[in-house]
Amino acid sequence: MNLILSDQPLHFLTSLPSDTVVYDLSQQTIHPCVGCFGCWTKTPGKCVIRDDAPNIYPKIAASERILYISHIWCGGFDTPMKTLMERSIPVQQAFIRIHQGETHHVQRAVVPKEAIILAYGADTQEEQTLFKRLVERNAKNMSFSSWKIHFLSPDTLQEAILEEVSQWNHS
Amino acid sequence: MESLLIINGSPRAPRSNSKRYIELFTQSFTGSYDQLQALNYSKSTVNVDDYSDILLVFPLYADSIPTPLMTFLKIMSQSPKTRQPTIHVLINCGFLEPEQNIIAVEMLQFYAKQFGFSFGSVLMVGSGEAILNTPFSFLVKRRIRKLAASIQTHNPLCQSVTMPLPKSIFLSASTKYWLTMGAKHGQTKETMSTMSIEKE
Repeated sequence: MNLILSDQPLHFLTSLPSDTVVYDLSQQTIHPCVGCFGCWTKTPGKCVIRDDAPNIYPKIAASERILYISHIWCGGFDTPMKTLMERSIPVQQAFIRIHQGETHHVQRAVVPKEAIILAYGADTQEEQTLFKRLVERNAKNMSFSSWKIHFLSPDTLQEAILEEVSQWNHS
Repeated sequence: MESLLIINGSPRAPRSNSKRYIELFTQSFTGSYDQLQALNYSKSTVNVDDYSDILLVFPLYADSIPTPLMTFLKIMSQSPKTRQPTIHVLINCGFLEPEQNIIAVEMLQFYAKQFGFSFGSVLMVGSGEAILNTPFSFLVKRRIRKLAASIQTHNPLCQSVTMPLPKSIFLSASTKYWLTMGAKHGQTKETMSTMSIEKE
């Protein structure tokens, strides 16, 4: 499965590869994680908050290819994408394993995935470098088998999205 | 006047480990201070310009800063400032390695530079979910005392602390901890280890 997560509308995407799901987070109701650990200790694999997030994080887990389109703030994903990431911890178990020499949570049925990140709003080299290092860490916890980051300005974003999805159509 | 604003940036602020870290900190800090939960900031009338120092206390969330704290920081970045308060950080993660907190700290250093704050002291805690309930809590308390002193004396200090355990022992202890938490809700190791996501 292919998954596109965007923090802005993608009305211009008229042709999608088969088995592709798109979420425009600006149209989803996703409340912040409350840190209750219910998804680990009370209802394992399920978030206790029943908004739109429980529809999305199983698809994150199941996707083999995922395209993130996000504004960057201080070297990290901005609030809409970050809120979803925080609400996606039901895809992990409470239990800890050693992964790449560090302690990390055991993953549930999470497919290794190719991640492509179209990042906008990071204008300086310093912020871009910080974001790259963040994604390198995310990869360990989000089962990225590979990842690519493209830094864009808002006015080149649409073109880049169309280009990326066009490549999916041909692969 | 020198004064400190302590921000609890945890998503579960009223019953968080960050609250416990703040309690330990305030036992050592002899200056004047106020406390605030990032969750409540939009409702608050606190003016950050009243403070010379701001201490952010929070857990690592998805490898970076939790969203309630991000929201607070965005509001704070737009607050009018007549001086340059110094931001300090006390961050904890549940993993053994305190170094897993570094990116979040660097994001805050970037924030400080971007929005006209100074940057001061840092304490990164590994095994932060459990360490306060273990015989190793004295290690954290010692460093929190140093953090408090560094803020009061304006001598920035970067420290880290974790349980001095081999990873294999930490894994066993961590598993036991989470099984105890799950048992309170009638869960077993098998049910907590389910590979299913959002399925019955």
